Amino acid sequence: MGDIIVLIISCIFVNNILLAQFLGNCPFLGTSKKLETALGMAMAVIFVLVMAGAITWIVQYFILDKFKLEYLQTIAFILVIASLVQFVEMFLKKSIPGLYAGLGIFLPLITTNCAVFGVCIINMKEGYGFLETLVSSFAYAAGFGLALILFAGVRERIILARVPKPLQDTSIGLITAGVLALAFMGFKGMV
Amino acid sequence: MNDMVKMVVVLTLLAAASGFLLSFAEQKTAPLIEMQVLNNEQWPTLQTIFKDADNLDTLVDQRFKIDLGDDENVTIFPGVYNGEPKAVAFEAKSTGFGGPLGVMVAVNLDTDEMVAIGVTVSQETPGFGSRAKDEPDLANQFKGLGLLQSFSVKADGGDIDAITGATVTSRAVCAAVTSAGETYKSIKPEILEKVKAI
Amino acid sequence: MAKTLTQEFTKGLWQEIPPFRLVLGLCPALGVTTTVQNGVGMGLATTFVLVCANLLVSVLRKVIPAKVRIACFIVVIATFVTLVGMLMQAFTYPLYGMLGIFIPLIVVNCIVLGRAEAFAYKNPVLPSIADGLGIGLGFTMALGALGAVREVIGTGCFTVPFGPTLTILSADWYTPFAFMVQAPGAFIGLGLMLCLMNLVPSK
Repeated sequence: MGDIIVLIISCIFVNNILLAQFLGNCPFLGTSKKLETALGMAMAVIFVLVMAGAITWIVQYFILDKFKLEYLQTIAFILVIASLVQFVEMFLKKSIPGLYAGLGIFLPLITTNCAVFGVCIINMKEGYGFLETLVSSFAYAAGFGLALILFAGVRERIILARVPKPLQDTSIGLITAGVLALAFMGFKGMV
Repeated sequence: MNDMVKMVVVLTLLAAASGFLLSFAEQKTAPLIEMQVLNNEQWPTLQTIFKDADNLDTLVDQRFKIDLGDDENVTIFPGVYNGEPKAVAFEAKSTGFGGPLGVMVAVNLDTDEMVAIGVTVSQETPGFGSRAKDEPDLANQFKGLGLLQSFSVKADGGDIDAITGATVTSRAVCAAVTSAGETYKSIKPEILEKVKAI
Repeated sequence: MAKTLTQEFTKGLWQEIPPFRLVLGLCPALGVTTTVQNGVGMGLATTFVLVCANLLVSVLRKVIPAKVRIACFIVVIATFVTLVGMLMQAFTYPLYGMLGIFIPLIVVNCIVLGRAEAFAYKNPVLPSIADGLGIGLGFTMALGALGAVREVIGTGCFTVPFGPTLTILSADWYTPFAFMVQAPGAFIGLGLMLCLMNLVPSK
């Protein structure tokens, strides 16, 4: 149990997927201009990442390892994620329209979100068991959401400030992210 | 309908071509990759643990593999002292703080005592866990101990002094050496058989 | 559309240089640029995938049905990414070790998918190759530049790609500003470079 808690803390704070491992930065800068959008994206990532983590684990241990096809990992995982996203989108549209209205527009963006693909690969690299995979996928996604929402909150304020022209938009966004990353570095000694 | 068929055919063909190309590339690059791993990960460690061996220049070419069952095998490096293959080294894995950790264990075939050990691969935290690889304090404690026993750090009731601030890494090294002992027990007859040829 | 091959090639080097003008592919730009060599190595690996994927997508553009084009692109790209991973492990193992997880991640690099979709799927083979090569080399230059800034300030050294490490700022009088090679330095370094690029007009 203690190990699981350490894993959760290290995935959310210490090894934060966005600010320490640099994965998922395109949607990070793209969907963080408004708090509302950031919240939607964060939810969609948590939803898809937990499912993708579970499925890729099964694919890795029951198909790739069994038939000595480890070298097909990249191609297998990306196809799993792409079809999963498509499937989730269709399912939500038909069965839970309320949730679809909230998450729908973010789902296609997730296929090329390297955080999803990256976490699946990290899970395999660390050799996690099934339970640990589920926990780490959730925790990494939660860390992504946390950073995204914090960042969106800051960005909503920056719009009100007068930023010099060359620094506007992405440039100031990156510098803000750097300051946020500096704050997250404070968690380094925790685990 | 026609569109549907075309879609399926194109995707299937593309996937088949990709699988074919990759399995071909995998076959071609696998031996090269093995050599790279050998040169970059195992060789530097072998150089330190077998520094007094007579066959330091040739021991990589003298390596052989032993089947462990379940499609797994272990690569054995023989060390020649005074003209005789007295020791062998092989790698055992465990999981450290930052990911997989490999330990190369050299063992004397007559006494079953360890000649030396060295960490091969580690992704441990620089300045803490990485000292298991960069500094000899931990590895030296294993010198001369019998391999056929289980090891643990003092905090867990064993005899090994853990590196300050890197208990997890020290535990991982102990676990790797313990598992090396188990492997050694089960394959020693085969090792003795094979080193005769050297 | 009457651009020459040279124009298709050079636009990637300046006018549309990623990740500055074309704000895509930020993850590798931030993640691997702790040294010049890592940046250049990553850029070259991406260039290889870009050129090959552009070539193949362009050759097959009449065969690939529009509805499943994204799936086809992904298969093509993933194949070349796996291939480049194998080749790097076989020939430049230490570099592969440094770049680690970012090599398989080329597969989700928006630049590669973006060029396949926006350019190669609509254009003949030669311009597609020129486009891939230009964008790829532009990306390599950008990563190399960011790597140089971070490495020199952060450690005082400069690693010539595939060569020796030179000491630029002597440790006698320069205390390395290690902040630059850590995570926050990546964001701030890239942000400031982007700002500099914005000061220069794009034409």
